[in-house]
Amino acid sequence: MRARWPWVLLLVALLALGPQFLKSYQVYLLSLAAVYALAALGLNLLTGYAGQISLGHAGFLAIGGYSAALLQVKLAWPLWASLPAAGLLTALLGLVLVIPALRLSEIYLAIATLGFGVAVEQLLPQWAWTGGHQGFSIPRPELFGLALNSDLAFYYLILAVGLALVWIAANAVRAPLGRAFVAIRDNELAAQALGISLARTKSYAFLLSAFYTGIAGALYANLVGYLNVSTFNLGLSILLLSMIAVGGLASIPGSLLGAAFLGLLPQVLSGFSAWVPQFIYGAALLLVVIFMPYGIWGFLLQTVGRGRGLMRSARRLFPGPRAESGSTGGDDHA
Amino acid sequence: MEILPQLIVSGLAAGSLYALMALGMILIFKTTDVVNFAHGDMAMISSFVALTLMRGYHQPYWLAVLAAIAMGFVLGALADLILRPARNAPILTLLIATLGISLMLSALGGHFFGYQTVSFPYALVGKPFVIAGVILTRHNALALGVAAALGLGLFALLKYTSVGTAMRAMAQNRLAAQLMGVNVRRVSTLSWGLGAALGAVAGVLIAPVVFLDLNTMITVLIKAFAAAVLGGFTSLLGAVVGGLLLGVLENLVGGYLSTQLQTTFVFLLIIVMLAIRPRGLLGAPVAGRRA
Amino acid sequence: MLELQGVTMRFGGLKALDEVSFRVEPDRIVGLIGPNGAGKTTVFNLISRFYHPSSGSIRFNGIELTHLSAHEIIGKGIARTFQNLGLFPYLTVMDNLLLGQHCRVRTPVLLQALHLPGARHEDRQMRVRAGQLLEQVGLAQLAPAYVAGLPYGVQKIIEFCRALVARPRLLLLDEPAAGLTSAETEAMAGFIRGARDQFGVTVLLIEHDMSLVMKLCERVIVMDFGQVIAEGTPAQIQHDPQVIEAYLGRPAEEAPHA
Repeated sequence: MRARWPWVLLLVALLALGPQFLKSYQVYLLSLAAVYALAALGLNLLTGYAGQISLGHAGFLAIGGYSAALLQVKLAWPLWASLPAAGLLTALLGLVLVIPALRLSEIYLAIATLGFGVAVEQLLPQWAWTGGHQGFSIPRPELFGLALNSDLAFYYLILAVGLALVWIAANAVRAPLGRAFVAIRDNELAAQALGISLARTKSYAFLLSAFYTGIAGALYANLVGYLNVSTFNLGLSILLLSMIAVGGLASIPGSLLGAAFLGLLPQVLSGFSAWVPQFIYGAALLLVVIFMPYGIWGFLLQTVGRGRGLMRSARRLFPGPRAESGSTGGDDHA
Repeated sequence: MEILPQLIVSGLAAGSLYALMALGMILIFKTTDVVNFAHGDMAMISSFVALTLMRGYHQPYWLAVLAAIAMGFVLGALADLILRPARNAPILTLLIATLGISLMLSALGGHFFGYQTVSFPYALVGKPFVIAGVILTRHNALALGVAAALGLGLFALLKYTSVGTAMRAMAQNRLAAQLMGVNVRRVSTLSWGLGAALGAVAGVLIAPVVFLDLNTMITVLIKAFAAAVLGGFTSLLGAVVGGLLLGVLENLVGGYLSTQLQTTFVFLLIIVMLAIRPRGLLGAPVAGRRA
Repeated sequence: MLELQGVTMRFGGLKALDEVSFRVEPDRIVGLIGPNGAGKTTVFNLISRFYHPSSGSIRFNGIELTHLSAHEIIGKGIARTFQNLGLFPYLTVMDNLLLGQHCRVRTPVLLQALHLPGARHEDRQMRVRAGQLLEQVGLAQLAPAYVAGLPYGVQKIIEFCRALVARPRLLLLDEPAAGLTSAETEAMAGFIRGARDQFGVTVLLIEHDMSLVMKLCERVIVMDFGQVIAEGTPAQIQHDPQVIEAYLGRPAEEAPHA
C-alpha cells in the first residue's frame, strides 16, 4: 500500500464517481458490500493479523446495529453521535472476549467466540427494547441537516466513513501496534521477550476489531432500516470469516476484495434457479480456497511477483490443539 | 423424582446420537487438523440414499444402511481428495473449503431428494424395554449400543492396529510420519472416508428421531460439536462421553426447567467448560504457555 | 549485575533446578555450559519469566525479577535469543529489528494509527538504528528480505541483532553457535565480543561448542542435573574433575564391572 498512491486515488475516484451511473438498487447493493467490507476488515485485524480466531463476529455487528438504532430511535441521538458511540460500545463489549483469549488457544478460543456470537443472538431478543423477535425499524436519519434518504446519499456517507477507517487501519498495521499483532500471532513467547504484553495487545486487537465491526453494524442498521436479530446468526459470522479467507488473511485489500466478492456473488447468481446458485456459491468458495490458498489478494500479489509476507504466516492459523511447541527449546528438563 | 431415571435414560439415548456424529468429526480432525463443516451434509446425503433404496427400490433395511455407509465413505474420501491441493493452506481457509463442500452437498441434496421433510424407518421396532419403570425403546437401545461399540472400536483401531497408529502419528507430526514410511495421503483419505462413514451411521440412526431433511443433520452437528468440546476435542472416547453427558444434561434442563432454555444451556455449557477446563473431560492438555 | 540465589524449579515431580546460585558481573562474557538436560535453558526461561521458580530469587541490578511478568523483562534491560530461533519468519528482517525496539516506542497506541509526524519520526529513527546495526554485521542489504527464506546462519545473526538493537544491559544467548559452520561461529564470536566492547553489554551464553566457550568466555559456570557443579575461568573448569566426570563419565578402572 506504500507507493501505490496513483492506484488508490484511482480506486477512490472510481468509487466516488461510478455510482452516479448506477441504478438505485445497485447502489444499495454496493453500500451493503461496503458495510460487509468494514466488518470483514475488523475481523481480519483480529484474526488475520493478531491470530485471534472469532467465530462470533456477527455478535459485534448486532451490538453495533442495535446500539445505534436504540440511541437514534429511543434517545433521539443524531447520527454523527450514534455512529461512534455504537463503535465504542461494541469495542467495550469486545473486551469481554479478551479473558478467554488470554487463557485459551486457537480452536478453544474459536469455540468461545462461537459461544459469544450465539449468546448475543439468544440474549438480544430477551430485552424488550430490542423489539423481541419481531424486529426493529430505524428511519433513515439525516446528517447535519442533509437528508440521507436516497441510496446514493447514504452510499457517500458509508464511503466517507469507510475510507477514513481503512486509512486508519492501514496506518495501524504498519505501526508498532500492527507489528505487535503479528508477533503475538506467530510466536507469543518471543513477543513477550521483546516487551509485548499479551494482555494489552490482545485487548487492543479485540477493541479495534469490535470498534470497526460495531460501526459496520451501525451503518448496516441505518442502511437497511430494519433490524432483526435472526440476521446476526452463526451463518453471518461464518460468512465474514469466508470473506477474509477468500480475500486474503492479514491483508486490508484482501478484506475488501473478499467482502466484495462474496457480498456481490449471490446477486450475480440470482439469475439461476433452485439449487444452482447455492451449488455455484459453494463451488466458488471451494475453488478459490484450493487455487488461491492465500486468498484472492495473495494470488494477485503472487501473479505480480510481490512477496508473500504477512499472509503466508497465516498458515499457522488455527492449528490443532497439539500444535508445535514454543521455541524456547526447553528440552533441558526432558 | 420418578421422572429422573427416565430423563437420564432418554438423555443417554439422545446423547448416543450426538456421540456418533461427533466421533466421525473428531476422527477427521485428529488426523488431518481440519474441522469438517460438511460432516452433517454428508450424513444427510448418505441417509437419503438409504431412504431412496428402501422406499423407492424396496431394498431391505440392512442393505440400505450398508449403501449409506458406503456412500458416506465415498463422500469423505472424495472430500479429502478435493482438498488435497490445498493441503498447505491456512487451516482457517480449509475450514471455509469444507463450508463450500457443505453448500454444494446441500444444494445437490435439494435437487435430487427434494426440499421436504420425510420420515425415516427405525432400525428396530417392537415393544420397548421397560427396566425398573424406565422405558427404553429398542431403537434407542441399539443407538446406545452402536455408539459404545463404535467408540470403543475406534479407540482400539487407533491404539492397536498399524493403520490406527499411522493415523495417530500423522496427527502429531505429519512430516515425521512420512519419513517413517507412513503413506500420509492414503491414511488421510482413509480417515476422511471412515469419519464420514461414521457420520452416515449416525445419520441413519438419527433420522428416524428428528426426521430427515436438508437441515436436520446440521442441527445435530452443532450439538455434536458441543459434545466434542465437552468431552475433549482430541479424544474419541471423549466424544462418546461428551455426547452422552450432553444428552443427559440437556434432557434434565428440558425436564426440570424448560425446553426453551435447552439451546442456551448448551452454549452456556460450552462457555463454562472452556472457562474451567478447556481440554474437556478427556482431552489432551491444551498447548499452554506460561507467564 | 545478575544474581541467582537458591533457585529451585520443579515440574511436577521432576526437579529441573536444585538450589542454583551464581552471579554474573557487569561487562563480562560468561558461559553457561553442561550436558543436555542440565537445566541451562530452564535458567534462561526463569529469567525470561516464562516459568516461576519453585523457590529462590533472581535479582538483576537490585531488582527482584520474580515479581515481574515476561513482557516486563526487556524493559529492565535483559534481552535474549532462543535455542530454536525466535524470529518471526514471515516478517522482514527490518520488521523483526523494529520489533526488537518495541520496548522503546513512545508513541501512544491510540495515536499510532494517525500517521502523525511524531510517530513517523520515531519510525524513521528506529529504522536508522536497525540499519546501522545491520551495517555493522554486513547484512544491511537484507533488510527488506523475509526471514523465512534466509540461510540458518544468517538468521542466527539477525536474531542476535534483534536482541541487541534495543541496547540491553544483559544479553542472554541460547546456543548462539548451534548449527553454524566454523567460519560462521568465528564471525558470531566476533560479533559477541564486539557487542560487549562497543555497547557495554554483559553476555551470558549457553553453548555446547567448547572451543567457542574457551575462546570467548572469561568465566564459565558448569551445570549438571540441575545443579551448579563448577565455576571459574575456562582453564580452571577444564581441569575440574567434576566437570570432566559430568561430560565424560568416570575413568574405566573405577567403573563397576558389568
